[in-house]
Order: sequence, then structure tokens, then C-alpha cells
Amino acid sequence: MRGRMAGQERRIDDTMLIREAQRGNRAAFEELVRHYDQAVLRLALHLTGTEQDAQDVYQDAFLKAYKNIGNFRFECSFYTWIYRIVTNLCLDHLRKRNVRKEDAPVAKDPSGGEYDLLDQVPDVRAGANPERDLMRRQLGARISGALEKLTPRERMVFELKHYHGLKLRTVGEILQTTEETAKNTLFRATQKLRGALADMR
Amino acid sequence: MKCEWVRENIVLQVYGELADDARHELEQHVARCADCAAELKAEQEFHALLAQDRAADATPNLVAASRMRLQEALETAKQGSFFSRLAFDPANWLRQVKFSPALASAILIFGFAGGIVTTYKFIPHSTTGIVQGPATVPVQTSIAGIDSISQDPNTNQISIKYKAVSEEQKQGSLNDQDIQQLLLYAAHNNYNSGVRVDSVDLLAKRSGDLQVREALMYALQNDTNPGVRLKSLDALGNYVKDDTNVRDAVLRALVNDDNSGVRIEALRLIEPVKADGSVRGVLMALAAKDQSTYIKSQARTMLAQLPEID
Repeated sequence: MRGRMAGQERRIDDTMLIREAQRGNRAAFEELVRHYDQAVLRLALHLTGTEQDAQDVYQDAFLKAYKNIGNFRFECSFYTWIYRIVTNLCLDHLRKRNVRKEDAPVAKDPSGGEYDLLDQVPDVRAGANPERDLMRRQLGARISGALEKLTPRERMVFELKHYHGLKLRTVGEILQTTEETAKNTLFRATQKLRGALADMR
Repeated sequence: MKCEWVRENIVLQVYGELADDARHELEQHVARCADCAAELKAEQEFHALLAQDRAADATPNLVAASRMRLQEALETAKQGSFFSRLAFDPANWLRQVKFSPALASAILIFGFAGGIVTTYKFIPHSTTGIVQGPATVPVQTSIAGIDSISQDPNTNQISIKYKAVSEEQKQGSLNDQDIQQLLLYAAHNNYNSGVRVDSVDLLAKRSGDLQVREALMYALQNDTNPGVRLKSLDALGNYVKDDTNVRDAVLRALVNDDNSGVRIEALRLIEPVKADGSVRGVLMALAAKDQSTYIKSQARTMLAQLPEID
């Protein structure tokens, strides 16, 4: 009950902020950004794999939102709207990376070593159990390798559902498709992942 | 057929996305069908395997840096104005017109009337519009604002472009009194936060000067841009130990600043003086009820490192 009331409060709060931002109030827009930006960064970080790219997606997404907020007509929630902008930018990023990957089959970091997503992310739990930590790193590397093989859209649906816990109905709205299509895409993505990671179990 | 349906829906079951009736049907089938039960178990195990890998949260530093970069960009970004929205969305116009016959006829009438009026009025008027430029007589008066500050890395010469009635430029070293005055002015008053950042950056090299420190403290407490506040905070860092005014200013930033990046930096700076009574008090308040879990835990860690006092 309290959760629902808090949700409603946030909605009212956001509506006021959106209206203010539409009138050109930059402070209101910045406040709105603060309501969503940590989730946006987390999504972009996991999808792009580097802080630099995640920051670029963040910057482009909110600038685009700022420039276009006048066109926001409350036909969907602001949450869906902002996620739509972010996922479109991430999809562009994934597509571009897929093209680049055809030139260089293995992604390399600047020093020439093979690229490992988990090396980019500091693990605060490290130290407690080095062996388990190593296992987790290896698992993470295998999983991100398998994720790379999905199509950008499959990857996006899986990402939003699995790592960010969104409802498939919302995923469909964000990607401007039906819930049914999102379900089918999730099915295909997990089938592929299970195939790629079959030896891990 | 049934098994095929079950296979396709097992993933939805695992993610809790199945409707209640479909879930019931699936559970009933799995209880009877060994193959599908094995498939469900395999999917659940795979799900558990994947669940060990979490998407990491963005670090507070990354959040703060991203917000700062965005704020900088927003200062120059333009929103689509009300007028351009009307003018450049013909599809929306048509949608509105479709539902509003009164508006449609009004537009039609205005169109006719406008056409007739411009036919008669436009030509004579079009020959008179000459744009007058502003008077370009250079007059020495007070400064109206500062446009840019830059330093040549080779010569260490600082160039400041500022607006009086005419634009002037001053060049000199950081030791130059005039340059210092301009920098102090820029840190206090300028409308462009990029210039404020540059001036604070340069003033930081002279933070031994009391007047400079005052300007930096002013910026730390009053500047609307977190980038400027962070720069002045860094510049003041060395004086937290010796200058109690600086220490108080940093503590105020630690308690009151609305940007978590600034607050985390402030917390880092007061680390060497954490045994100080006023600092200890602030740390205890933060450890007890700060909204940021990171700051709360850092404050706790710092308190734990202090010797107990009775």
C-alpha cells in the first residue's frame, strides 16, 4: 500500500516537473534527470561495457530528452519515454559495434589485451573469497561473451527483463512493439544463451 | 502440441510473466510429463546460473561526473520552442484541425485576410528594413561579464576576454594584480559557468592568498554549478588542516550540498582532520542518517578509525 502511494506521489511529482521543464525550467529538468539517471547509467554501462560509452549514451539521451520534452504529451509514462530514448541510442551503439566487430573479430582494449567487461567494473565484494571471486569473473566473462552473440534487439529485451527486472509489457512499450513479440524475443534470446553456455552447467 | 506450448512458456514461468491460468495449466502438465518437468528444471538451473552475474551499479563518481557533464551541456542546449513546435509539426497541426472545425475555418479566414493584406502592404515595407549594428565606440567602464579564460601551456600567459562597453583583453602572468582581480571577479560574478571553472582552476594555484581563499569559499557555497564547486573544493583541500574557516566551509558543503559528488569529495578532504570536535560531530550526524548509503558507510568507517573518547 505504501509502495503504491509512493509510486503515485512520484508520478504527481514527475508530472509537475515535466510541465515545468516544458516551460523551459532547467532546474526542474535536472531534478527529473536525477529521478532516472542512475537506472539509465546502469543499463548503459552493462550494455556498452565501458564507462566512457555509458557516459556518452547518458549525455546524448538526456540532451535529446531536454530538446524534445516539449513534444512529450503524457500519452505514455515519462519512464517509458526516457527508456525509449535510451534504448534507441543503445541499439544504435550495439549495431555499430556489430559492424566494427566484423573488421576485428576479437575486441581489444587499448593495451592490446582481450576485452573483459568485468575488468571494467570494480567488485566491492572482492577479497572475501578469492576463489569464488575468480569463478564469478570467469562466469561473467562467459555470459558477456554469449550476450554479444545475440542480435541487438534480443540483447535489449533480455537485458531489460533479466538484469533490470522490467515487465515484458513495459519492454514491449519501450521498444514500440507488442508484449507478444517481446515474449517471443525473450524466448529466442534464452534459447541462444542456453546453447552458448550449455557446458557451464 | 501441449508439450510444445509448455516449452515455449517455461521461460515466461521462470521470469514470473505467465498469466495465472496459464501458469496453472503449465504446472498441471509438468506434474504429469517427465520430459517437460526436466525441461523446467533445466531452465530453472540456467536461470540460477545467470542470476550469479549481476549488472553492476554505476559508481557514485560516474553518476556525479555524468551529471556535471550534462549540466554543462544544458547551459548551451536549446529546447524546441513553442513556436517551432507549432511550425514544424504539420502532422500534429492536421490532427488538431481534423477535430476542430472552428479552428479550421479560422485558419482559412486568416489565410485569406493575410494574403490580401500582404499583397498590398508587403512590397512598400520590404524596402525599409535596415539592421542597425550596436555603436562601436570603445569606452572604458566597469566590466559587464567575462567570456573566456585560457592559458597558453608554453608561455603560461593567461588570456581573459571580458565585456565592458567594448571587448578588451588582458594578458599577464598569474602574479599580475590585474589578472588576479579579473579572475576573482570571474569566480564571483560571471554568467558562464565554463569561465567560472577556468578562473577557479587558475586561482587554485594561488590559494595561499587569503583573498583568493575567500573567493574559493564563496564559490564553494554559492555557485550553482557543481563543477565549479568541486574545483574550488579541491583548491581548498590543502587548507582544511590550518584554516578553520576553510574547514567550516568544507563541512558546510559536506552537510548541505545537493550534489553527491561534491559531498563525497568534501568527506575525503576532511579525512585528515576527522579527530577535530566539529568534524566528529558532523561525521556522527552523517553516519546516523545520511540519505546516501555510500556517505553513511564512509562516515561510519572514519568514526570507527578514531580513538574512543569518554
